[in-house]
Amino acid sequence: MSSAPKALIVGVTSQDGSYLAELLLDKGYQVIGTIRRNTSFFKENIAHLYGKLKIEASDLIDYESIEYVVRKYQPDEVYNIASQSVPADAWTHPMYTGEVTALGPVRVMEAVRKFVPHAKFYQATSREIYGNIQAVSATESTQIDANNPYGISKAYAHMMVRCYRESYGLFACGGILFNHESPRRSLHFVTRKVTAAVACIKNKVTNLPLNEAGEPLVDDAGKVHMGNLDVTRDWGYAKEYVEAMWLMLQQKAPKDYVIGTNTSHTVRELCRVAFSHVGLNWEDHVIADPKFLRPTEIKDLKGDFSLAKKDLGWEPKTSFADLIKLMVDADLKRFK
Amino acid sequence: MPSALIIGVASQDGSYLAEFLLSKKYSVIGTTRKTGDDVANIVHITSRITLETADFLDEVSMENLFKKYQPDEVYNLAAFSAPVASWEKSHLTGQITGLGPVMVLDAIRKHSPRSKFFQASSREIFGTVNSKTATENTPVHPENPYAAAKAYAHFMTQVYRDSLGIFACAGILFNHESPRRPSQFVTRKITTAVASKSKLHLWDLGSPRDRGYAKEYVEAMWLMLQNKTPKDYIIATNTLHTIADICQVAYSRVGLNYKDYVVLDPSSAPPSTDSVRGDYSLIQKDLGWSPKTSFKELIELMVDADLKNSS
Repeated sequence: MSSAPKALIVGVTSQDGSYLAELLLDKGYQVIGTIRRNTSFFKENIAHLYGKLKIEASDLIDYESIEYVVRKYQPDEVYNIASQSVPADAWTHPMYTGEVTALGPVRVMEAVRKFVPHAKFYQATSREIYGNIQAVSATESTQIDANNPYGISKAYAHMMVRCYRESYGLFACGGILFNHESPRRSLHFVTRKVTAAVACIKNKVTNLPLNEAGEPLVDDAGKVHMGNLDVTRDWGYAKEYVEAMWLMLQQKAPKDYVIGTNTSHTVRELCRVAFSHVGLNWEDHVIADPKFLRPTEIKDLKGDFSLAKKDLGWEPKTSFADLIKLMVDADLKRFK
Repeated sequence: MPSALIIGVASQDGSYLAEFLLSKKYSVIGTTRKTGDDVANIVHITSRITLETADFLDEVSMENLFKKYQPDEVYNLAAFSAPVASWEKSHLTGQITGLGPVMVLDAIRKHSPRSKFFQASSREIFGTVNSKTATENTPVHPENPYAAAKAYAHFMTQVYRDSLGIFACAGILFNHESPRRPSQFVTRKITTAVASKSKLHLWDLGSPRDRGYAKEYVEAMWLMLQNKTPKDYIIATNTLHTIADICQVAYSRVGLNYKDYVVLDPSSAPPSTDSVRGDYSLIQKDLGWSPKTSFKELIELMVDADLKNSS
């Protein structure tokens, strides 16, 4: 009799955590997900999965809480999706960002090494580890050159994944994910900020959600306040990216992989696609506000996913325009 | 009178730096982790410096220092500094060696933004280098938890400089030795064994490294904070010597043949980083620093000091 494989998802309420939980449940896994202890239990992204997955309270800054879950469930696969991922907060709270995003994964790997050394470990690395590197596309061997506290924390965790793999023999992989979006992306990310604003403007919503500065997402003049419109990103669909995570842990040997679309678009194009999808002109509704500029920006860089395609058979399927449209459509239903 | 705060003042580098800054008429504040720590390296100057306790595991102790002193210059020389032991203490190494300097940088940003900051980066951040020499532009590719933590602190130092306007710089130091080097480091292990004429157990006789004199390296740290604009620099000798070379010079100093004393014990060999020399031409050009003491002179002065200690 073979029992179902067990997967532990650290950070299951996130966009990626919730899509990954769905994928693993579909594949017949027993799924355990962690959330940070909180008196409010309702988590929108996983509400539809209650009863199907086990939920435990655990916090990346608290080693004991991680060890407890690892010992209790003895998972076959461990996915660390959790981090302090608000870029602006990384500037004001660099120590906390380091504790969570840099040292958190080390705490998880320590617990894995001690209690389930044969478990496979996935770490959510970020494109931010490359900072402002001068290249058109990044591969797995592109030089690490992070230039903000979030990116540096992710770089440290990525380097530690390599140490645990090469020197402890842990089956550990870093998925170097370029930006990935969906209707579950939180509102402080630029894609969702725009698609939510489009829906609020189109549907003339009065009970407005708040932007990352704690202000109504759309001002009295019907405009959404944005940072630099010229920055570019390689944006993919999160639901497809979690499949790459799972595929990495099914390989014979652990490796790091770049997951991207190898295309990039400006924030301006994002605004144009999103507003025109509902018949509006983005220039009437978007205003540049210096308040939302970052201390340092990162240059245009695309994620070359050819190794993932070759080894994992993975490639992105949803186009940029289709992704933005499906996000606008979801927000039109959500904000009425 | 300018003031300087040395975090980790009782270390090899901290104690030389404190002496150097006292000679430059600085008011020197130095930290140890707790009362009762080993202060052998600074007993001769404790009456001339202000000693404080501060710990990288206690953010409040660090913030209080900056509120109290607002020092003109800050040197972070504290770390969990053993690459081999860092394998067993990877999390603690990350907290002390990685996040510790960020605690200092953030305290500077909040309470003393005009302080100039020096971070002791390590050659270990480069890992295995595919060229004979490393420069300030060599890619960062750490291969052990100590090196990864140093790399994290190195990048964070650059962020506080480039994006937050702090006068912060990192000295990428290659191995540096002295009679104050703790005896678990191979150079000092050899020179103490020479002095005691006991059998010497070593892992290997190869492992070429770029080794300089710590007393000269602390001058480079100070020079970096007198620079017009903050920059990172390699501090090294651009020469390589093996462990056999150290043994040869050390035992010859007392008229002995090292082959009569050395026992090779290869089973306990630790993970080793491939050898690379440090190209110090940028700091030589910008700040006029270059190493003065030769490898032979360095090993001999260490043997002489250990002979004096043991007599």
